[in-house]
Amino acid sequence: MRSRDAFSACHPVVNLVYFTLVLLFSMCWMHPACLGISLAGATACVFVLRGGTTLGKSLLRLLPIALLAAVVNPAFNHEGVTILTYLPGGNPLTLESILFGLASAGMLMAVLLWFSCTTCVMTSDKWVYLFGRVIPALSLVLSMTLRFVPKFRQQFQIVRETLPEDGGVLRRMRTLVTVFSIVVTWSLENAVETADSMKSRGYGLPGRTAFSIYRMDSRDKRMLIWLGACALCLGSGWLLGGADWRYYPAINGASVAPTTVGFWCVYLALCFTPVVLCWREERTWNLLQSKI
Amino acid sequence: MTAMRWKTMIAALLTCLLVGGCGIQAPSEPAGNTCTISISCATILNKLDDLTQGKQALVPADGWLLEPTQVEFNEGESVFHILRRTCKQQMIHMEFEDTPIYNSAYIEGIGNLYEFDCGELSGWKYRVNGRFPNYGCSQYPVQSGDVIEWLYTCDLGADVGGGESQ
Repeated sequence: MRSRDAFSACHPVVNLVYFTLVLLFSMCWMHPACLGISLAGATACVFVLRGGTTLGKSLLRLLPIALLAAVVNPAFNHEGVTILTYLPGGNPLTLESILFGLASAGMLMAVLLWFSCTTCVMTSDKWVYLFGRVIPALSLVLSMTLRFVPKFRQQFQIVRETLPEDGGVLRRMRTLVTVFSIVVTWSLENAVETADSMKSRGYGLPGRTAFSIYRMDSRDKRMLIWLGACALCLGSGWLLGGADWRYYPAINGASVAPTTVGFWCVYLALCFTPVVLCWREERTWNLLQSKI
Repeated sequence: MTAMRWKTMIAALLTCLLVGGCGIQAPSEPAGNTCTISISCATILNKLDDLTQGKQALVPADGWLLEPTQVEFNEGESVFHILRRTCKQQMIHMEFEDTPIYNSAYIEGIGNLYEFDCGELSGWKYRVNGRFPNYGCSQYPVQSGDVIEWLYTCDLGADVGGGESQ
C-alpha cells in the first residue's frame, strides 16, 4: 500500500511528534509573527495533504467563525490603553481589544487547520499501532472515537433512505428525530460489539504481537533528529522570551532582533516541514520519470 | 421602479439612523451644580509586586489617576454618571458592567486597573464626603458640593478605611 504523500508515509512516531509540537506551539504563542507563520504553515499543509478543494471548503467554513471571534472580542472586552471611540453602551472601544480579537481569530483558524491535517495523517491504524500495546483500551477508544463522526454520518444516511421523505416540515422533523434515535441506539450497540469482537480476537493480551507495516528507516530517524533539534531550539527560545507578546493593557513583546528572527525562522521551517518533504519527493519522482 | 425603491430604502435608513442617534445621545451639557471627584490607586503603590504583570507602568508615582477636580453636573445625576462623563472628558479609560433593568452599574476597571488585578480582594470602591455608601454608584444621587473619591482597594476596602461594616 502506498500512502498518498511523503509525510503520511513517515513512521507514525514522526507524525505524532510533529503534530504535538506544532499544535502545542500554535496554541501557546500569541505573538503575531508566530501566529502568521503557524497559519501560513497550516494552510500550506492542508493544501498539500488534502488538496485545494478541501482547503477552499474549510476556509469558507472557518472564515465566518474567525470573523465572528474577531468582532465579538472588542464588543465584550474593553481593556486597553488606546481608546478609539466609545461604543453605544458607553464602554470604550480599544485598539488592543480589536487586535486581540484578530489574533485569537488567527489562532483559532490555525489550530483548526492543523487538526484537519492531523485527522488526515493520523489514521486509526496509526493510533492503534502507537498506543495499542502501551494502553490498549485507550487506543481502541481513541480510534473508535475518531471514526465515530464519519461512521455516524454514513449510517444516518443509510437509515434515512429507508424512511419516507414526504409530508410537511413537522412530519419530516419527526422522521429525522426517529432516524437520530435509531442511529444513536445503533452506534451504542456497535461500540459494544466492536469492543467484544476485539476482545474475542485477543486484542490487548500480554505477549501478543500485532501486525504493522511501519518500519523505522533512516529517513524517519533523520526526521526525528530534525524534530528534536527544532523542539530544543524553539523550547529554549520560548524560555528566553522569543514568543513573548502582551496585548493588554498595552501592546508589548519580543521585537525584531537577530535572535528573535532566527527563532521565527526555525518555527517557519518546522511548520513547513511536511510541505517541503512532499515537494522534494515529487521533484525526485519527476526527475526519475524524466530519465526513463 | 427600482430608483423609487432605492429612494424609499435610503429614506428608511436615514430615519433609522436619526432615531437611533437620538436614542444614544450623549448626556446633556451639565450646568449649575458642582462637586469634586478624584480617582486614586495609592493602595497599589506598596503592593506593586502583587499587580498583574505588565500593569506596573499604569500606576502613577503618587497614586492619583485623577487629582481632586471640580466638575459640574445636572440635578439628579448619580455618582456613576459623573464618573463616566469625567473619565470621557479626561481621556481616562473606564470599563463598567451595566444592568439597566436594575439601574445598576458596576465599575470593573479604571485606567486599565481592573478588579482582581492586585490580589483576589482588589477592586474599585467609592466614598462620598468621607463615607462609603456600600451600594451601587448608579443609585447614589449627588448633591451640590459633594466630594466623591474613587479608591482602589487591595483588601476588600479595609486598606482604604471602608471595611465590611463601616
